[in-house]
Amino acid sequence: MTTAVNRGEAETVGFDALADQVAAVAEEHVAAADREAVFPVAALDELRRTRLLGLLVPVEHGGLGGSVADVLRIGIRLGRVDMSLAMIFTMHCQQVAAVVRHAAEPLRSELLGRLGSGAEYLASVTTEVGTGGHLLSAGSALRSDGAQLAVDRFAPIVTGGAHADGFLITMRAVEADAPNQVSLVYARRDQLTTDASGDWQPMGMRASHSIALQLTGTVPAHQIVGAPGGFADIAGSVFGPLAHLGWSAAWLGTAAGALSRVLRLLRSPAGRKRFDVKSELLLTRLSKARQRLDSVHALLWRTEEMVRTTSNLSLPRNQLLLNALKITAAEQCHAAVDDLVDAVGLRHGYLKDSPTRLEQALRDLRSAALNYSNDRLHLADGRLALMDSEVRFA
Amino acid sequence: MDARFTELLVPFLKFAGGREITEDTGLRELGLDSMQAIELLFAIEDAYGIALPDDELNDESFATAGSLWRVVSAQIPEAVA
Repeated sequence: MTTAVNRGEAETVGFDALADQVAAVAEEHVAAADREAVFPVAALDELRRTRLLGLLVPVEHGGLGGSVADVLRIGIRLGRVDMSLAMIFTMHCQQVAAVVRHAAEPLRSELLGRLGSGAEYLASVTTEVGTGGHLLSAGSALRSDGAQLAVDRFAPIVTGGAHADGFLITMRAVEADAPNQVSLVYARRDQLTTDASGDWQPMGMRASHSIALQLTGTVPAHQIVGAPGGFADIAGSVFGPLAHLGWSAAWLGTAAGALSRVLRLLRSPAGRKRFDVKSELLLTRLSKARQRLDSVHALLWRTEEMVRTTSNLSLPRNQLLLNALKITAAEQCHAAVDDLVDAVGLRHGYLKDSPTRLEQALRDLRSAALNYSNDRLHLADGRLALMDSEVRFA
Repeated sequence: MDARFTELLVPFLKFAGGREITEDTGLRELGLDSMQAIELLFAIEDAYGIALPDDELNDESFATAGSLWRVVSAQIPEAVA
């Protein structure tokens, strides 16, 4: 990651150095954020201060002009410390990418100016009761009097919803015939009344603070991102690919951080006394964990290249690769950490206060298969496989 | 588009509400999802005794009745698109 940041504070500092600064702050708070299930506010503030929240905003709008590859490298870096933070960051970048690619004037300049400064954290409001997590349909409809859009929307899970400065919200398009005519509408926090409900006490991903929100308010009609009813295009071109790429980077980072901490423990003077590093069982387990992560890493960058270069993401073989990345990263990153628990045993594999933090990594990574469920993706992949009877690879 | 083709489409478009199917009719907007796209593909292939090329099975082909008909008619020797 050699891209120089040539604006503002970070005149001579690359993105990796900025990510290191955020990771250092995250490291100080990761234990408390996990224990208390609270949002990593200090790390988010550091993402604002370093302007990494504006990473994907073009330089002409005041952003850092970074690429999806930069998002993934930073996602891996942050994931090494805190998977919740890495997911928060990559999902925010996914929202920004939707604005960069699909917002029209005057919203485009107005919003990109704010996002480019790094000050605004954008949360995604796509979950809805009754749609089964299906992104491309919406029950709650936008109402319009021509100049204003009325938003009245309940979402059961909004990551960082209590701390977001703005929201991208999916709703059924005004006067839509079908629930799959979905619009994406932007709202600033001060344009809405936001009522949080329920408690957040999950097994892992505790710092993601993904709460239920009731959003109510009105926004100017020009705050639709993309064509009215045209969210399917944004989902296909931005939300889907960047979600799978970004999540996979966060998960890979988390498993890589866990393996790194285990290896440092084993190589430390105390570790060399406690563990027999010539043990064939231990060596084989380390090998398997490493192999799993190299496989995910290779798949991540192959998929990033496909997304960057393909002219048609909707081709079944391209969709299959994207889904394979998500499913494989979810399974293999979790399995790698599970291997490591066996490798180092009860004291360092299972207890909360071990410096390996395997216990937290395993809990966090358990959500990976559930987060846009692997079961659902396998059903989609079965259908896509039937559409590619020659079995060509992306 | 021939009449057999539009008749094949109708059961898959649950939000069509009895409207006439034209070349511009958006298939997804009227209810065609990915599973139904597979079933529609099979129905078309059975009805016309053809196989649609893998390369044509993408979002653009399934976007409108007209775009799908162009793919289908290209595989029917006697048809006029």
